[in-house]
Amino acid sequence: MPAAFSDRFAGRPMPLDELRRAISPKLRLHTVTQEAIDGIDPLTYEVIRHRIWSITDEMGDTLKRMSGSTSVTEVNDFDFTIGDEFGQEVQVGLFNTGLVASMDLAVYWTLINRSASPGIDEGDMFLCNDPWVGGGLHQNDVAVLAPIFHDGLLFGWATAICHVADLGGSAPGSFSPTATDVFSEAVPTPPIKIVRGGELQDDVVDAYLRRSRVPEMVGLDLRAKIGANRLAVDRIATLIGKYGPDLVKAVMKRMMDDAERRLRAKLAALPDGTWHAIGYQEQSRLGDRGLHKIELRMTKIGDHLTFDFTGTDPQQGMINCPYSGMRAGVMFALLPVLAGDIPWAAGGLMRCFDLISEEGTINNASFPAAVAKAPVGPAWATANLVAECLGKMLDTTVESRPRVQSVCAGTYDGCIFTGVDDHGRPFLGGLADTMASGYGAQAESDGVDTAGLFVIPMGRAPDVEMTELTQPLLYLWRREETDTGGAGRQRGGLSGSACVIPYGVRSMTAMFTGSGKAASMSPGLAGGYPGGTQLDLVVHDTGARAALAAGRIPGSVDELGDSRCVVQSHDELPVHPDSAMVLRWTAGGGYGDPVLRDPHAVARDVADAKVSGEAALTLYGVVLLTDGSADLTATEKERELLRARRRELAVSPPASPPVRVVPGERRLLDDNLRLAPTPDGGQAVVCAHCDQALGLWGENYLARLPRRTGPPAEAGPTAWPDPGVYVDAAIEFRQFYCPCCYTALLTQVVPADQPVLLDRAPV
Amino acid sequence: MAATRPGRQAGVTYVIGLDVGGTFTDAVAADPSGALYTAKTPSTPPDFARGFENALDLLAEQAGLSTEELLARTSHVAHGTTAALNALVTGNVATVGFLTTRGHGDAITIMNVEGRYLGLSPHEAQDTLRTRKPEPLVPRSLRREVTERIDRDGKVVVTLDEQEVRTHLRELVALGVDALAVSLLWSFRNQAHELRIRELAAEEAPGLYVTLSSELTPRIREFARAATTIMNAQVGPTLRAYLDPLEARLRARKLAGPLLVMQGSGGTVSARRAPEVAITTVGSVLTGGVVGAARLAEQLGHPNVVSTDVGGTTFLVGLIVDGRPISTSGTVLGQHPLNTPALRVHAIGSGGGAIASVDRGGNLRVGPESAGASPGPACYGLGGTMPTVTDADLVTGILNPDFFLGGRQPLSRDLAEKALLEHVGRPLGLAVRDAAAAVFAVQNGQTGDLARKVVVEAGHDPRDFVVYAFGGAGPMHSFAYAAELGARELVVPLGPTAGVFSAYGLAASAVTVSAELSDPAPLPLDPARVQANFDALADRVRTALADQEIDFASVSLRREVDARYGPQISEVTTPVADGDFDEAAVAGIGDAFEAQYARQFGPGTGYREAGIQVITYRVHGVGTLPVDPDLPVLPKPAGRVEDARKGSRPVFLDLRYGWADTAVYDYRALGPGHVITGPAIVEVPTTTVVVPSGAEGTIDRFGNLAIRLA
Repeated sequence: MPAAFSDRFAGRPMPLDELRRAISPKLRLHTVTQEAIDGIDPLTYEVIRHRIWSITDEMGDTLKRMSGSTSVTEVNDFDFTIGDEFGQEVQVGLFNTGLVASMDLAVYWTLINRSASPGIDEGDMFLCNDPWVGGGLHQNDVAVLAPIFHDGLLFGWATAICHVADLGGSAPGSFSPTATDVFSEAVPTPPIKIVRGGELQDDVVDAYLRRSRVPEMVGLDLRAKIGANRLAVDRIATLIGKYGPDLVKAVMKRMMDDAERRLRAKLAALPDGTWHAIGYQEQSRLGDRGLHKIELRMTKIGDHLTFDFTGTDPQQGMINCPYSGMRAGVMFALLPVLAGDIPWAAGGLMRCFDLISEEGTINNASFPAAVAKAPVGPAWATANLVAECLGKMLDTTVESRPRVQSVCAGTYDGCIFTGVDDHGRPFLGGLADTMASGYGAQAESDGVDTAGLFVIPMGRAPDVEMTELTQPLLYLWRREETDTGGAGRQRGGLSGSACVIPYGVRSMTAMFTGSGKAASMSPGLAGGYPGGTQLDLVVHDTGARAALAAGRIPGSVDELGDSRCVVQSHDELPVHPDSAMVLRWTAGGGYGDPVLRDPHAVARDVADAKVSGEAALTLYGVVLLTDGSADLTATEKERELLRARRRELAVSPPASPPVRVVPGERRLLDDNLRLAPTPDGGQAVVCAHCDQALGLWGENYLARLPRRTGPPAEAGPTAWPDPGVYVDAAIEFRQFYCPCCYTALLTQVVPADQPVLLDRAPV
Repeated sequence: MAATRPGRQAGVTYVIGLDVGGTFTDAVAADPSGALYTAKTPSTPPDFARGFENALDLLAEQAGLSTEELLARTSHVAHGTTAALNALVTGNVATVGFLTTRGHGDAITIMNVEGRYLGLSPHEAQDTLRTRKPEPLVPRSLRREVTERIDRDGKVVVTLDEQEVRTHLRELVALGVDALAVSLLWSFRNQAHELRIRELAAEEAPGLYVTLSSELTPRIREFARAATTIMNAQVGPTLRAYLDPLEARLRARKLAGPLLVMQGSGGTVSARRAPEVAITTVGSVLTGGVVGAARLAEQLGHPNVVSTDVGGTTFLVGLIVDGRPISTSGTVLGQHPLNTPALRVHAIGSGGGAIASVDRGGNLRVGPESAGASPGPACYGLGGTMPTVTDADLVTGILNPDFFLGGRQPLSRDLAEKALLEHVGRPLGLAVRDAAAAVFAVQNGQTGDLARKVVVEAGHDPRDFVVYAFGGAGPMHSFAYAAELGARELVVPLGPTAGVFSAYGLAASAVTVSAELSDPAPLPLDPARVQANFDALADRVRTALADQEIDFASVSLRREVDARYGPQISEVTTPVADGDFDEAAVAGIGDAFEAQYARQFGPGTGYREAGIQVITYRVHGVGTLPVDPDLPVLPKPAGRVEDARKGSRPVFLDLRYGWADTAVYDYRALGPGHVITGPAIVEVPTTTVVVPSGAEGTIDRFGNLAIRLA
């Protein structure tokens, strides 16, 4: 059977020899030998490397200053790269880091499929928004790829990409919660020559902009990307003029080799192991009530990582991403966690891992799956699992522990709206306040409150005034939300909430997309609690306008009346003139058992309204004096009581043969777990606090532990109490304990039918 | 401290520039006849006024006058002060209560997310797991939300609850606040509620220092506006406590003219009004040098200058275009955004004390960590063991170990070599001299990168610029970063004012004031609206100049707008021609904007289809001083240039040339007209200048060394 037409559009990493053979001989490549790379003196290397860094920096500034989209100018949802002749990334920007995982794919594809016809020549640029090809995770990520030539040879690539507001399709923002395939979304466009020999091609530009509901905005973004690429092409040419092409290229290759070497050294210094995690997306489309699973087994052997997603559910509804999204999910987590202190020569970093996955699954979806939600849905959920596994891996040595972090902002809370304003003009808008999510707690510090998203390290939330200026809304409040940060010895970062009412609007419809509403998708580590769940409400008949006129500003959901619609994970709702939208987005997971938290830190949190008095007592076991300081004696007693209550309520699995350990080195596993030698020369997991043996290393130690299950609300005041509102599956709170001291070793909110995973094991 | 022409006749009007830094207080007095007196004296923290008066005494002594006589003949004193910045850096600030709109008190903790990384270098920002937000500017216990609301059009949606405001004020006073910051949503569109709160504060807490965001920084974006307002309230009382007694003391000592305080923008504000806008004086420490450079550039006839200053810890770059320093509308201080206009000065940690090291990946890094003054570079022999840029300068042969700071600081080549070998040479497999050369080259590369970025980002061609290099560590590297930049000419200011460069700038600069207003609207605009906006601004500028109490020789106004393509967020500042507005003149604004945009981003990047919005209108006023002090012209030298030659030594200056025997000159024996052919080293008591291979250096009539690069 001949390959389907759509099979051609699959951008994949491939061996360079194979890639080279697939490129038309018409296109001659500039390359250097390994001797040239090895022979660079450190001096020249540093000078040229700094220059390349500075060029990418300038690209970002240019893109941002020229763009016309809030997603770029206010939210920083964009990125850019400089690559070698194959498009392997030598230096990338610090913005949307997942995009990095797709840019090289688009260049590989362009080299293979465009070098013969229409040809790749000096002064050309290609536009691409086909996430199967690469150059973005969904169609709204539009990339412009610019080949850099020297002396007739293809020297390298500059790429610029940003999320654009709308590219057509059945729903505004090109985001349809009812989509079942890509045909009701924006048209994916494989690489097409939009600049030819330096000339912008008006016919191609028109064909591109014609599809958009906001062509002016998209047109300005297009010019911003072309401008950023031109800058890079010029600067690289100057650099070549000064140092010669071979030296510059050798530095580019060496930058990738260097990043690779440093990451490999870091990996090699860690114990080998395998880690297992499962995450979910709630609801595959409007009307669905399912939970859709992504599963990850991460293995580290020596200096190499393997991410195996076998077991992930088949693609469905509109919660899918192509291969680029799965790879982006890995990079979202890998860049900040493993490579925060290594230069982001991403081409080198990406050589340190392999991906294993079945095609046709949620995070490796085949054409024509609906993929508009790719970055904020499946790629994101993939990143959570990678972050969780990396956190557990890094918790095993003293040196790497400072880089342990619980999951940050486990889901994105998206809200787009359309309507007609008082002057009869149509509008398209969205809320980006939800950028201000909490970061996960680290092993040695609390998560940063309203810190941003993990996926855009330099993202930002707009000022309220900027949103009110550009959109017909009035905010009743925007604030940090008490108790949203996952409880733990180190507390997860708080998220926030915003409440807006339509202002100067005739009619309005809001579209929501999210997840983590039935159960938080920001799990904690080492017994830490998950961050708060996402909660969106549309409240009708609020009386808010009357209240404002009467000199009162409603400050809570309760003050808005009881005509509340709980917004589903994918939903579309009318917003009436007297309605209000309330968004409370998700927060960071905690780290460690909260009863181990410094009572003074809890007292400070209560004074700063980061934690409520109620949570201080029930989750942290901290008793406060009337002046707000911690009562240490009463706290100690309360914590003893808490442990006693855990013991009392816990259920133990049927007794299994006891595990014995002998004196000797106790090796770090996490805050609560150590590895200890057994009499027969093997190893067992023991409690770090009381040395109680928990199970043999490699066997499911968690399955042997006493645990308590209960309703989700036990996870804290901001855990949604009634998952049945969103999904059919039963959801429960679970906590696993050391059978001796009753320290919480694992705290989670998961489907009741999820098996107890062997979350860490030797290879 | 040179006095060139005595000018003691009665009735002479002096101008005084006085710059109080953390270490030194520099002063310059000038009279119309061209006499120029300079003074440098240690600063006297915490009572900086004492050093201020010491400097005045020194100036008076040189002029042969009593201090009272000098002050009685002084038309104005322009004062640069670090008082506000010091207060912020040391945390010695007023306890501030913060009032904002109900529902929005957390704006200063959410910080638009960006508070986590604002002001960090890309290198620091990339390491996300180590980024943190700073402590909120006002603790939760001192924040109060006020029931009131104004909408985007300035319409009152919720009237101000005055009773609630009174309750808040009483509570805050009881909690011990010294100052109040008020920043309400959309107050820049409608000031009524903020103004009323100040009236209520005057009733509830008479004498309490109050800053209103709508007066201080009437700009959209509530987070930066609130942060700026709060920081102003923190430093206002401190600045008042410094300036009020200082001015009273100067008056008592017969100061005739006004005391003016330098602002970060390069403008000035009277000492009486300065505490109200205290935060605007924060950047003046950085800008003094740029203002001095601008004044020098005027005299040398250089319209376009890159001003570089290399001190012990930082490399500072400012830009002068068409004779005017380039400014920016905001800066960052301690990860908080600051809305105050300032001369655009970029800084990186690449001073003479920047530490060189090799990281685990085998990359050579120079800075941003600095050995500072203590322990200082390894070669100082004060206990520093890490190699610095200065150590590399010594080993490459550029510095003379016996003539550093004119011989006042002996340097140890052994210690420099030991540090370089251990921390750079061995890890990279380089001999010690090559290790020094590597540090030298990396330092030059990164300073050159910054300089180029500054010029190019502003939309200019570096080849049109002259580089000025001052600061002790600048002139030995300037030839290299000027070449990286692509500039063709380099000037090292070395005349009598070199040591008090920023004070000279203060004394010699015209007084500038600016006014702006936000009135976002798309083109085409009603000419009457544009006319009205500019007329109102011109009135404000003229009044502000009159408030400075100086008899200006002349006053000139300049107009501009910030405009953008419809949906953009960043604006491009566009000059607006003089004259009244008709439809053609308004259309001209659009054309000028597009020309400016194309210049900045490249031809064909504009997109008129997206529409053009004019956002901000601005008028700058310049009052030319009645005294216009010129730099003193030096006499012709007695000797020939060869007489100044001290000898030669092997020096490493450039990768391409390696080590070369290089002539060494003594600046003290050089004079106007002398020409030095590179490669050469010129040893000055305050610094060391490199004239590279193929270049030619000329001593100009003011004693500066002007180098034409190959």
